[in-house]
Amino acid sequence: MSPSVLQRIASGEAAAVRECIDEYGALVWSLARRLSRTPSDAEDATQEIFLDIWRSAARFDAAQGSDKVFIAMIARRRLIDRLRKTTNEPPMDPVEALEAVAWSDPGTASETSLEAEQAMRALQELRPEQRQVLELGLLHGLSQSEIASRLGLPLGTVKSFMRRGLIKVREFLNVDAPSVSERV
Amino acid sequence: MSDPGSQHRPDDATLDLLIQQVLEGLSPAEQRALDAWGTDAGRERQAIEQAAAAVSLAATLHSPLPAGLRTRLEQSAADYVKTVRTVTPLRAAAAPAVVIPTAPAAPAAAPAAAPAASSDPRRGGGWGWVAAAACLVLALLGWMRSPPVATPTLPPTPAEQLASLAGQADTLKVTLAATKDPASGNVTGTVVWDPATQKGFIRFVGLAPNDPAVRQYQLWIFDAERDQRYPVDGGVFNIPASGSDAVIPIHAAVPVRKAAAFAVTVEKPGGVVVSAREHIVALGAAST
Repeated sequence: MSPSVLQRIASGEAAAVRECIDEYGALVWSLARRLSRTPSDAEDATQEIFLDIWRSAARFDAAQGSDKVFIAMIARRRLIDRLRKTTNEPPMDPVEALEAVAWSDPGTASETSLEAEQAMRALQELRPEQRQVLELGLLHGLSQSEIASRLGLPLGTVKSFMRRGLIKVREFLNVDAPSVSERV
Repeated sequence: MSDPGSQHRPDDATLDLLIQQVLEGLSPAEQRALDAWGTDAGRERQAIEQAAAAVSLAATLHSPLPAGLRTRLEQSAADYVKTVRTVTPLRAAAAPAVVIPTAPAAPAAAPAAAPAASSDPRRGGGWGWVAAAACLVLALLGWMRSPPVATPTLPPTPAEQLASLAGQADTLKVTLAATKDPASGNVTGTVVWDPATQKGFIRFVGLAPNDPAVRQYQLWIFDAERDQRYPVDGGVFNIPASGSDAVIPIHAAVPVRKAAAFAVTVEKPGGVVVSAREHIVALGAAST
């Protein structure tokens, strides 16, 4: 199997640094758009995320998961840190836009990554209200208090839905915490 | 709360804290509660992050990069490659320090390709000289028959680039001084920053060498037009053991509109997104 772009960056291949933009640019930009307040914020965040990716490429371990999950983990960390820095306003996607969330079909999600397909299958096993809590928290960057307020649910219920939902996803990913090394 | 210290599954309360940490951050009190749970928290957090990332992937339609952003990213990539290739392999992933010799350079050593054994006459050194002479003749013949080839120009070193930048009229120059932090020592530094090209260098004298596996230095740029609580990440870098005098390229993570001050902190390997500012080892403000 040929080395991934991340592995080539880690091994010092200069051309791979730019190829990384071609390969993951749309993914990072899409994540940044969703978890940023303005397009300008999303552009700044995308630049920061790529710097993080290049610096962290040596930590990518293909045995632990796909390159896309690694990229998404780095991106989410940076984006959530940026959200915390600013006001408590939610990012630009309003709750009403939930219907616009483009859930992958499990049959085609494998084109994105195996983990995306597994996550999709896990989400399909959740009750609609559980799934909505995960969407608001993971995709729209709302805090659990904000989710509780918007959905009119007790905070404890929101936390319970979030916890059970993530546990379900972990089961489908077969992620046993002790086996997940310090990857990012 | 679970019994801390052993490798175990977290209870619901701990898991809720871990999820909150990943999704929105913790208050100091919540963080202390989580810290008490033990070293497994890091691994659990990774697993939660992995699950959250997978969900994000499942729900993300990929939109193409805007053209302007792509151009900026490609420039960032070129800058990153240039900087990292200056001294160390990319694997080091940190802005390298370019050490400036403090004494006149020693004469160039013999090329590594020349085997040490060839200098030992008892091991056929005479034949080595014959072969070398033959190679020289062949090389000369080849040179005489070939059209002249332009000698590649070596890119300027960071020290040369700093000197060049310092000579330009519009560059910002800031003097860095030591702080009261014990790690600061007697460091002094000079920042040269070009606001137009967003490029710059820092020359440090007396900054203590660091072990990159244990800690790294991180540069911060305070932008007068941004929230002062969150300075711009200027990149992580290392000072090698021989580097009492070093030049560091600056890599601002985002555009700096008006650089007002520069600071260097000591951070964990890889640097941090937001510094706790526990160890500030050099500081300097731009004169207004």
